[in-house]
Amino acid sequence: MPSRNSIDWNAPPKLPATHYTRGDIYRDEAIFEDEQERIFKKVWRLACHESEVASPGDFRTLEYAGTPLVVVRGQDGVIRTFVNVCSHRGARIVHQPAGNMRHMVCFFHLWTYDLTGSCTSIPRPEAYEKQNLNKDKLGLREVRTGRKCGLVFVNLDDACESLDDYIGDALEAFENVLTENDLEVFTYQHATIDANWKEWQETNLDLYHEYMHVALRKTQIDPKAMNQRELKVYPKGHIRGGGSGYSANYDGYSGWAKREDSKALRGLTASDFRFTHIFPCSSMNARGTIMRISTFTPLNAHQTRIEWRGMSPRSDSEDDWAMRTEHYNQYWGPFGRNVPEDLMAAELCEWNFGPAAARYQIIAREEGMRGQDDGFLRAFYQRWGELMGRSASGEGDTP
Amino acid sequence: MSISRDAATNLISAACQYLDDEDWDAFLNICDPAFRYRITVRSPEIKREMIWFNQDYAGLRDMFSVIPEHLRRLGTLLRHVSIGHIEHQAPDMAQVTSTFQCIHTDLEGRSNLLAVGRYLDDVRATSGGLRLAARNTVLATRDLGVGSHVPI
Ligand code: FES
Ligand SMILES: [Fe+2]
Repeated sequence: MPSRNSIDWNAPPKLPATHYTRGDIYRDEAIFEDEQERIFKKVWRLACHESEVASPGDFRTLEYAGTPLVVVRGQDGVIRTFVNVCSHRGARIVHQPAGNMRHMVCFFHLWTYDLTGSCTSIPRPEAYEKQNLNKDKLGLREVRTGRKCGLVFVNLDDACESLDDYIGDALEAFENVLTENDLEVFTYQHATIDANWKEWQETNLDLYHEYMHVALRKTQIDPKAMNQRELKVYPKGHIRGGGSGYSANYDGYSGWAKREDSKALRGLTASDFRFTHIFPCSSMNARGTIMRISTFTPLNAHQTRIEWRGMSPRSDSEDDWAMRTEHYNQYWGPFGRNVPEDLMAAELCEWNFGPAAARYQIIAREEGMRGQDDGFLRAFYQRWGELMGRSASGEGDTP
Repeated sequence: MSISRDAATNLISAACQYLDDEDWDAFLNICDPAFRYRITVRSPEIKREMIWFNQDYAGLRDMFSVIPEHLRRLGTLLRHVSIGHIEHQAPDMAQVTSTFQCIHTDLEGRSNLLAVGRYLDDVRATSGGLRLAARNTVLATRDLGVGSHVPI
């Protein structure tokens, strides 16, 4: 077919509605606000790894869906999460990204809260007596917190289902890796990019874009092994890539060495490559010797903040640590070969979807849920559609 | 004779300009064979020092050779350096501490600050002239947007 005129270009693709998306889902402010309410304020979202709050008083702050949170381990050992907003006049209470505290003191008027969120002290409280206000009624807002395989998840919806029900079996590929290695976070990075969060998430779910990555072309794409790659979709939009077709020969890239099986994380061989996504924004990736957990926060329709945690066994020697740092940086560091390419890809799509130059995108590859099938993208947009009450293709919208 | 401030300044300016120009061969030519380029940063999130980049001379050469094949941040970088303290460690060795700003200019000619930090450069006097023996880029900036395929 030759080039297309504007009518053809602007017409929806002649595909089932599950097999394409329409550009306005990446830029429409009302859709973005709807996503915040219907998705991000309702789902379990990765907050941190429990090693980050290992001891009583350890805390970690984060922010998503416009809500600042502080995750803290109490003196009783329980990990709780609070909205990081003072009950008095709304000031941010904890400012540092991480640390240790015995209680939370708001800088503004020194209202104080213990690590269970109770308000324990108010300077000169008697002036509130006339209004029958006292510290018993002024605790922090607590947020649902769950733990699974060492991962700490939070949910802004008080009425949400349990974390176990939400995740189901979707972490099965990582259970051994997460529980048998006594992991801690050895490297952490975050990045803000100019792209809608779904443009970023698609780089996690689109298997076909492997060809964009020079390092993957040289180390892991084997057209003959595509059939041994399996795509699994779980309820609630979680997905997993696995199978023997996923393996990598790291010495295929100039300057990189083979990875030794003896250095692999427990539960993996050195050449194993696995990934799992927990809808909508939490991921695990493993490449033999290294593992990464990641998540992201949509900031507005056109900006997304992404966080990555590199995990290593607490028992690592200095040499192991150096090896893991090197392997992690090859692909996933901010100066790595892969992650900057994925971030660029998301921004370059934003260049076109943001100002409406691109109308539709096609997610129609079918390979029987093997190889480079677009089944992950379709599963993601199916779940997105269920929660949003609309189709990502625009089908059924009033024009 | 110790390494003069002028000579050290010229070397570090040249290193930055070669990187800005992506003239990798010229950059490697002013590096010692034992050269190592590290980029480190402290994470207040995990309360640790991290290494984000760590390559020796051969590793850099291999890495540079594949650069043209990669999808990369578009536009150019400019490393603006202010040379501070020079510590003479031996007659032929000095450590130079500089501050830098790395500015990205996009394809439309718009410039934005990408990163700031310090360079800790080891410079060595050799019979062939002054050489960069090691660079440790200590980043203050931790959010690098799309990141970079080349060291800052
Ligand atoms: S705003 Fe926190 S004590 Fe007043
Ligand atoms: Fe990718």
